[in-house]
Amino acid sequence: MVSSDSSSELQISTADLDTPIQSTEFFRSLVENGSDAIVSIDQNSSILYANQSVERVFGYRPEELIGEKLTVLIPDRYHDAHFKSVDDYLESGERSIDWNGIELPGEHKNGHEVQLSITFEEHSYDGQQVFSGIMRDVTAQVERADQLERQNERLERFASIVSHDLREPLQTARATLAVAQAGNEEALDELDEVFDRMDALIGDVLTLAKQGQTVGEPQEVALQDIVEDSWSIVGTEAATLETTPTLSTVDADPERLRTVFENLFRNAIEHGGENLTVRVGTLSDTAGFYIEDDGSGFEDSATETLFDYGYSTKKENTGFGLSIVEDIVRAHGWSLTAMTGADGGARFEVETQ
Amino acid sequence: MTDKESDATETESPVVLAVDNEKRVVQAFELWLNDDYSVETATSGQEALNQMHDGVDVVLLDRHMPGLSGEDVLEGIRKQGYDCHVAMVTAVDPDFDIVEMPFDYYVSKPVDEPTLQSIITELLELREYEDKVSELYRVCQKITTLEAKKPRQRLNEDERYQELLEARETLQATTRELVTTREMSAFEDIFEAKQ
Repeated sequence: MVSSDSSSELQISTADLDTPIQSTEFFRSLVENGSDAIVSIDQNSSILYANQSVERVFGYRPEELIGEKLTVLIPDRYHDAHFKSVDDYLESGERSIDWNGIELPGEHKNGHEVQLSITFEEHSYDGQQVFSGIMRDVTAQVERADQLERQNERLERFASIVSHDLREPLQTARATLAVAQAGNEEALDELDEVFDRMDALIGDVLTLAKQGQTVGEPQEVALQDIVEDSWSIVGTEAATLETTPTLSTVDADPERLRTVFENLFRNAIEHGGENLTVRVGTLSDTAGFYIEDDGSGFEDSATETLFDYGYSTKKENTGFGLSIVEDIVRAHGWSLTAMTGADGGARFEVETQ
Repeated sequence: MTDKESDATETESPVVLAVDNEKRVVQAFELWLNDDYSVETATSGQEALNQMHDGVDVVLLDRHMPGLSGEDVLEGIRKQGYDCHVAMVTAVDPDFDIVEMPFDYYVSKPVDEPTLQSIITELLELREYEDKVSELYRVCQKITTLEAKKPRQRLNEDERYQELLEARETLQATTRELVTTREMSAFEDIFEAKQ
């Protein structure tokens, strides 16, 4: 009915829009309330205009910026490049950088850097050349990308080490089988050990892959209980456990914390030697606890490689135990340090601050 | 070389030195290779270096060993000037660090008997090829030197010069054949890649 001649009646011509868009208020509102920060400068990089969103992105109120040099929003190391870039453009008319969505860091009022995606525009106003930057805060995206990249690297290293650690016993198994087939019965018994080792490795790898990175909701846990539980699982008669009476409580995922102690105790017992004493206590100068033994210590091992995947000085070990410990400690937001203890043994400190 | 040839106790079969810290691994290598080669074994890097001698043709070398690593042994072998060929037999995934390592072959564990056999065959053929090319070079040098000094007629009359010509022909045929035999497929790859 009404649509009999839609083409002329329903189309809105640009002429119809002229009235609202010509109103300054329309533009002001559009620019002020956009989610992107917009800053305009003159040829000398003095700020002529900044919209409301600069406060959210840079921490400055717009009026704080007017008249300032643009370099207040640029990290020091980019100042020279900025001025050169503007001068070069004014001289040659050639754009030395991408004007459309280039990623550069900005500097927040409180000093930290903000990752920005910036689009530049230029126009003439009142007889002078004006440059504007439309800036979007992409810090979260950049951090996410970095995190993914780190995760990929970690995964790649992990896969490479796991494949190494499975290939080695696989070669031993194949060789041992060949020796057994050639008539050596003893070799056959050794196959069992090789398979046990591969089994332990797969178990450790699963622990790392599945749970290492995350912890459950932390709860208040009595260290004394966790320590005794863990010792009852891995402790041996040849070794003694001592705990200081001051052992407090920590906020932790109890299951994951038990894994920490089990692995550290196992590490101490396997490397410490005969008549070993393992001591657990509270750190004196900061919140946290330590596990120390009076064994032979780290000897020649560099402490920074201790936590690497697959690092072990013993061939029968998987070398994943301390990696698991470190992952769990980190997932709690704590830090782990390895050092030589008072008696020359191994000492691990966990700071829970 | 002449020492080896004159040594009456030395067998004719090529010598392979197998190095791995797992005793069973070197034992199996020995079982697999014993029929065709004279196999010597070492279960540590230090032992391998102590055992090296001029007669060793191929070394099978583990990388990840306590004490002296495979890389250390490889370096030691090269530094001491042995001209054997070395195959790294290892569970370590190759990374860019291998660029700096003077080995001739890299294979990932686990390896079985046929793999090991084909690696050794290839490395021994490489050795033979290198020897023949050096010999060919020497013969050609002598021919060129004589041709520059002696008139054509004297050359044609000289038996020793004629022998050199024959030797050159034979060596050219042999090296060409070595490159094109099926076993030398790796060689073909080398020349393909160059083009």
